Amino acid sequence: MSDEEVLIQSPLMYRLLRAPDGTLTLEVVVGGIAMYEVRVRLNADEAAAYAREGRAFADRMARAIMADPPFGGRSVRGSGA
Amino acid sequence: MRVMLRSALLCSLFIVVGCKTGAEVRPTPQEPVFESTVAYCDETQKAISKDADLRASPYGIDQHVDKNFKDRKVSWLMTDSAYQKFIVQTGAKNFGRCNDSGCFLFAAPAATIQEAVAKSMVDGKHAPAVIGQALGLPAKNFEGTLRMMTLDLAASKTCARLPVDEDPGVWKCQTPEDTDCFKFGGYTSGGIPELMAINAPVEQATVTEVP
Repeated sequence: MSDEEVLIQSPLMYRLLRAPDGTLTLEVVVGGIAMYEVRVRLNADEAAAYAREGRAFADRMARAIMADPPFGGRSVRGSGA
Repeated sequence: MRVMLRSALLCSLFIVVGCKTGAEVRPTPQEPVFESTVAYCDETQKAISKDADLRASPYGIDQHVDKNFKDRKVSWLMTDSAYQKFIVQTGAKNFGRCNDSGCFLFAAPAATIQEAVAKSMVDGKHAPAVIGQALGLPAKNFEGTLRMMTLDLAASKTCARLPVDEDPGVWKCQTPEDTDCFKFGGYTSGGIPELMAINAPVEQATVTEVP
């Protein structure tokens, strides 16, 4: 059972998660006829942008991950709860 | 006498014709006639479909569906964890990535996906590499328990058109050699026919676990 808190559960098929230590992670469903999740941990700048803009930033970042799932080598294959 | 002769002639003619028409004529099996999948789209999606068909001209969604989706049945795969988190736990009404315009889902011919899954099964478990090879996608996309969904586009009256670059979830290929990314034209980068189904209803889909 994950101890991450779900901050956003989006119909775009992504979730924004907060770990107990405050780390923010985007979990995004990527792919076409075969869909799977990848996870990208937000860096300090992105966390600050989320603090300022909220969901609009999360939407934008999730779309960017869907459009390029490797995300500059920052994404890891996600799974589990 | 002449009257009798004419009557007999007419009668025999009638019998001959009658015999011919009465012969066993079995109806030839006919393929079901389907409406265009675009007929089920709203005006926004019809306009997008029209533009996509223009770009793909002389090809188009109707030729694509008639060629590759003859029975109008589509399938797609998800990891079980994604299915649980984004469909089951949310009580989603439609599959796919949703925005204000609808929910957008890439789907392939059901027979293609089902055959790839069936061929991959070894001792009750799927081999990711085999599905990956069959669908022209990396094996890592198929690791872990999967869910295979199947939907009858005609029976569910689901809108479908050619996918376009602006659709949610599109990962555009950067080079001709790229795989596992989107190329316009109705085929995946691995050569599998695909379409964009809009508002595919969860309750009308068959969901199968792929261990």
